[in-house]
Amino acid sequence: MKDFIKNMEEKLDSMGAKLAKKEIKIPTDLAAAIVFFILGIVLMLLVPSQVTVGKDEVVSGAAFPTYLCYIMIGGSVLVAAQNILKMVRKEPVETKTINALVEIKALIIFGILVVFWLICNLTELFVLGALWCAVAFLLFFRCKKKSYYIITVAFAVGIWAAFRFILNVNF
Amino acid sequence: MLEYIGPALQQLFTIENFLWMNVGVFIGSIFAAIPGLSVILCIILFLPFTYKMTAIPGMMFLLGIYCAGGYGGSVSAILINTPGTPHAATTMLDGHPLSQKGRTKTALRAALYASTFGGIFSALALLFLAPQVAKIAAQLGTAEYFLVCLFGLTIIAGISGKSLIKGIISAALGLLISCVGADPLTGYDRFTFGNVRLYMGLDLAICLIGLFALVEILGKAEGKVGPLKLDTSKIKTEDKITKEEGKRMILPAIVSSIIGVIIGIIPGTGASMASWFSYDRAKAMSKHKEEFGHGSIEGIAAAESANNAVTGATLIPLLTLGIPGDGCVAIMLSALMINGLNPGLSLFTTQGDIMYAIMIGLIFVNLFMFLQGRYLTDLFAKIVSVPQEILTPIIVMFCFAGAFSVNKSYFDVVVILVFAAIAWIMKKLDMPTVPILLGLVLGNMTETNFRRALLLTDGSFSIFVSSWYCIAFLVLIIGAVSMIVINKMKEGKKGEAN
Repeated sequence: MKDFIKNMEEKLDSMGAKLAKKEIKIPTDLAAAIVFFILGIVLMLLVPSQVTVGKDEVVSGAAFPTYLCYIMIGGSVLVAAQNILKMVRKEPVETKTINALVEIKALIIFGILVVFWLICNLTELFVLGALWCAVAFLLFFRCKKKSYYIITVAFAVGIWAAFRFILNVNF
Repeated sequence: MLEYIGPALQQLFTIENFLWMNVGVFIGSIFAAIPGLSVILCIILFLPFTYKMTAIPGMMFLLGIYCAGGYGGSVSAILINTPGTPHAATTMLDGHPLSQKGRTKTALRAALYASTFGGIFSALALLFLAPQVAKIAAQLGTAEYFLVCLFGLTIIAGISGKSLIKGIISAALGLLISCVGADPLTGYDRFTFGNVRLYMGLDLAICLIGLFALVEILGKAEGKVGPLKLDTSKIKTEDKITKEEGKRMILPAIVSSIIGVIIGIIPGTGASMASWFSYDRAKAMSKHKEEFGHGSIEGIAAAESANNAVTGATLIPLLTLGIPGDGCVAIMLSALMINGLNPGLSLFTTQGDIMYAIMIGLIFVNLFMFLQGRYLTDLFAKIVSVPQEILTPIIVMFCFAGAFSVNKSYFDVVVILVFAAIAWIMKKLDMPTVPILLGLVLGNMTETNFRRALLLTDGSFSIFVSSWYCIAFLVLIIGAVSMIVINKMKEGKKGEAN
């Protein structure tokens, strides 16, 4: 068992080392402008189908969200224009390095959270999901201390009990 | 005012209230002391607990967390040179060097005394200023209210990120999210996609758990978690603040408290700005400038009194206009509203006893913060050493349990996961998330007043320049935007020069 764990860790380390080297730099302002421009357009197109408007309304329920979409689109165009201008002038633009290892780790954490929700939703037993969460995170952190597992599992049961019996949350 | 004091004291002096104050102060001190955890995260996690409470104990609990957060951050800043909260970075400049000189206890005590002074000063400012501001607020109409919301949103959009435009885009997203659910004027559903669970809109607490709490958990992917090496024996030394040092603390504490209150009243500014500004002022005023950065007691006093003086002041625009001074008090607004307490003059008249009980309670919160800081700092430091491996899953469990408990639905857990993903993407794109929070909080108020104002003039925008108050707020907005743009340009030039 110890050998298996050791082999696993070595494999994970070598995979991690490879992934850590994979990086891309993104111009954050330009990327944000593109994302929010598209989002603004999509939301504006959704307004007619998602907002019911009454007859003869001077200012309908669609007015406010539509103005907000204009602000979002207009702001995105401004940010993009500023960035493109900087690029043309060969001035430095705001960038961020996206590391493959960090993003995959974040995805794994997100996966743990989704499984937590799935367990709770399917079994309607929060405590089962909480136990999964306790063990999964300790494994994610490669924790080998038994005491940490005992403490975290105890907290999982304790939090469930506090919400169930003190706050009367039935889950 | 005086007619409310008696009933307010009667409502305040209960064992329940004092218990929740102390629980709040204790939890807040610990969360603020642990680097990586924040006061806002703490308030979000424990907000669902207040849904079962009445207004006074609920607010006492949250104010306990909020105020203790002002002091708690200084513990790790002084002990391990890592600020527990962003505003404690200023305390760290002198707190840690003083600790390295073997005077840890002096540094911690100076931070505690200054924090308590700033906190009580701020609570008194709240007690005397809030009713006056509320009287002015009562004269505002729908157009003025819309402009006040716009003012708050603009400042927060401008301050919370590197770019004003990106902040405005974030605020617009927050306002758009607040549109989900029933139209506040007509009751027609909007952006519900046929899902009945969305008809009542998205609960603020649920959105915030995803935006601010779960995204911190995703952030664990960015670095290795290591134990905090806190040497608690350093606290047990016998050193004391000398009489001379005590005298030197008085002036910077008073000046910084005034600065903290003024900055705290302006929505979106916050404790960090107050700390840095006050620290600069204290340095300029000091006869011992050479000590700053090397363990100056005046530096600690200035930074700590300023960041705690913000706490009561941020409640002034919240209680009078419904405009939260910062993210933490924005969350408190939902705790107030769930108990039927809507900001404005009526809060000080029809529910004056509750309001004054909360404001007087803030003074007691600061006194308990002092007592706990005096006798429990050793314990706080020990708890701070709890490994992140244990803390992380516990926070997740609280997030999930808290989200579920709001509406007793796992649909809300899906909502927090979606908001966590949104916050993660925004973090990658360097988009600030605090304006989303303000957009969510102010969404309903902004839209309702905007539409009502336009209805009064058959859709004409002339109503927004129809009164002196409107013109004053427009001037304020234009002035604030101009100042933000000028500051950003200066920062940009400085960055290029470096």
